[in-house]
Amino acid sequence: MKFAIALYSAAHAPSSRRALRFAEAALAGGHEIVRLFFYQDGVHSASSNIVTPQDEQDLAQQWSTFVSNNQLDGVVCIAAALRRGVLNNDEAARYQRPAVNLQAPWELSGLGQLHDAIQSADRLICFGGP
Amino acid sequence: MSTLHVLSHSPFSDTRLDSCLRILGRGDALLLCGDAVYALQQQSSTLEDKTVFALEEDLQARNIECPQWAVAIDYPAFVDLSIQYDKVNSWL
Repeated sequence: MKFAIALYSAAHAPSSRRALRFAEAALAGGHEIVRLFFYQDGVHSASSNIVTPQDEQDLAQQWSTFVSNNQLDGVVCIAAALRRGVLNNDEAARYQRPAVNLQAPWELSGLGQLHDAIQSADRLICFGGP
Repeated sequence: MSTLHVLSHSPFSDTRLDSCLRILGRGDALLLCGDAVYALQQQSSTLEDKTVFALEEDLQARNIECPQWAVAIDYPAFVDLSIQYDKVNSWL
């Protein structure tokens, strides 16, 4: 079964953790994740500038490791990311901003990538809110 | 076409659950996670004749016992449910 997973909440929201646990369980069950799409506040989950207290789970790091280790397509919505200050090298240079906080394995792209993922997946599962 | 409705907001903070129940189809089911599991504590019997699942970890975190008419599930079962139902609708 092919899954497309969309995340609408930041890394500190319980729903971000729920999405990650679901994604892990999907792969463990032998299923495929065609794309992870991080939209709205979900773009914060891809920021490399998040500092999590030592006694808490570092969800942003766990997401990054999960995407890298499984060589998944982790797409961050470019419009949502720019308005929240989540920039990769190209965008920081384009808008002359002093910091870059989006690196591999993440990729900035448009909403069309979500549409495309929905077309090629059997199921779209969205996570967001609390 | 059957739908699995996923809720994570507390039933005491907004009207998502009420709206969801209003459109719930015959073959549809509810999956309660996060604070939505508090809906299992309500005295009313609005959920008892529905197909209701709840994430076990969220029940444990809130010390809520799963009633007989609901089913506590883990993440692999969540994945299975998302396949069993034709669509998954998250009430974001």
